[in-house]
Amino acid sequence: MTRWNDGTEQTATVSPDITDEMNALPAKYFTDPAVHEMEKEKVFSRYWVYAGHATTIEEPGDYFTRTIGDRRIIVTRDKDREVRAFYNVCAHRGSKMVEDTPMTDPGNANGIRCPYHLWTYELDGNLRSTPQSFETAGMNPDLEDDDVPRLDPEENGLLEVHLDSIGPLLFVNFDDDPMALEEQAGTLKDELESFPLGEYEHARRYVSEVECNWKTFSGNYSECDHCQANHQDWIKGISLTESELVVDDHYWVLHYTHDEGVEADDALVEGEARFYYFWPNFTVQMYGNADGYGTYIIDPIDEGRFQLIADYYFESPDLSAEEEEFVQLSRQLQEEDFELVERQYEGMTSGALAQGQLGPNEHTVHRLHRLAQEAYEA
Amino acid sequence: MSADSPERRERGGSVVVCPDCELRKAIETPNEAVAFYRRHAAITGHDVDWERADVDGLGAVTDDDLRTVIRTLEGRFPEGVPIGIVTAAASRRGATIGQTVNAIQGLRMGGELYEPRDDHLRVT
Ligand code: FES
Ligand SMILES: [Fe+2]
Ligand SMILES: [Zn+2]
Repeated sequence: MTRWNDGTEQTATVSPDITDEMNALPAKYFTDPAVHEMEKEKVFSRYWVYAGHATTIEEPGDYFTRTIGDRRIIVTRDKDREVRAFYNVCAHRGSKMVEDTPMTDPGNANGIRCPYHLWTYELDGNLRSTPQSFETAGMNPDLEDDDVPRLDPEENGLLEVHLDSIGPLLFVNFDDDPMALEEQAGTLKDELESFPLGEYEHARRYVSEVECNWKTFSGNYSECDHCQANHQDWIKGISLTESELVVDDHYWVLHYTHDEGVEADDALVEGEARFYYFWPNFTVQMYGNADGYGTYIIDPIDEGRFQLIADYYFESPDLSAEEEEFVQLSRQLQEEDFELVERQYEGMTSGALAQGQLGPNEHTVHRLHRLAQEAYEA
Repeated sequence: MSADSPERRERGGSVVVCPDCELRKAIETPNEAVAFYRRHAAITGHDVDWERADVDGLGAVTDDDLRTVIRTLEGRFPEGVPIGIVTAAASRRGATIGQTVNAIQGLRMGGELYEPRDDHLRVT
């Protein structure tokens, strides 16, 4: 019998339906630097991408920055308390304006000032003021002061980025004419908004750099065929047989049922953990055994590395001993997964398997691969 | 960087850490430590430390003054001392990567250091 894939053979597209065939996304889409460049446009500039958490910028003038692909943005709350996003790029001659400011250590300003020639913008993006040297032409012998055109605040304002939210979770979209967030999120929006996510506070952020393609980790997050063998501490309180993986257009949910006895009475979802993966690179973990939730951002650095930004939300940032222990177990889970995905990626880059195949309970990974292929072909 | 450049030969078992994230990161070339620090600080605000810097010749560095450190190393790096090596030298005296990078920035802005290539330093 010939082998599924000899490593040099031509690859096929991701199978349309996992019940017929089970072609995975070909390995080159995980290892090719050109694909990483392509994804900046076709994935991270076309879909709604998580920007941060609204509870970290509660007051007018609070802001944080975020980099998505090569695009740098400022997310801020304006004087009317509306959250807005702008490119962190000055309308004068394009300088980056604000220093990198993570949402875990947000800034506050009553306007946005470019350090280069001191153009200053309102929090709604309109140009507020420019120095004298932009209003008169004293150094230019060919121009009279009266002929210097007035700068219209709106025309010379910051370039705004589409922003929308699911509860306190803020998403941005760089497309000129994006699909609605509701369309991408489907029933995820109502489902997540049925939980009081805004009542929890940011408590911890851990960032790890991992040596594999971001989609390699996304695939790992999305299936639990590896759990029994690799997450022995975590699996103790879970009945995998009662768990299921449910797939929608752009998101999927892993439901894990906790054995009796490990339920936290006041868990967000009592007795059940739900792990949501929202295309392209965001996850929400609703814990069945702790009163809080977590999110992951899976940000590519290049084709062979990504940053996992893990944020934890609890009632208070001062964690109880149980909560500390819970976070530690979650971190252990991450480290175990990092080992797995780095090892998988080492294998994938060897060229011995040009295309993998998916198992019957990897329908979530199949969805992920189909979405990637769809995005590339669009 | 060419395969046999002094910078490449300095690679080895180097590790940087973020104490806040309990994160350890293996580093191939010293400047990668600074790239890591910049990426990490941008999304966390955390500073990063050398845990182990496998870089030859740091024993020759016996001064706290960064200009003297760079002057001491310049002979080996005529195209500029990689900023990562300067941070490794300074870490032996207790400075974090962030502190050294900021101090270097201050010296450059004062005209005391310059970069013949990006992230490679010489004394003016
Ligand atoms: S580039 Fe921003 S004020 Fe000139
Ligand atoms: Fe896992
Ligand atoms: Zn950190």
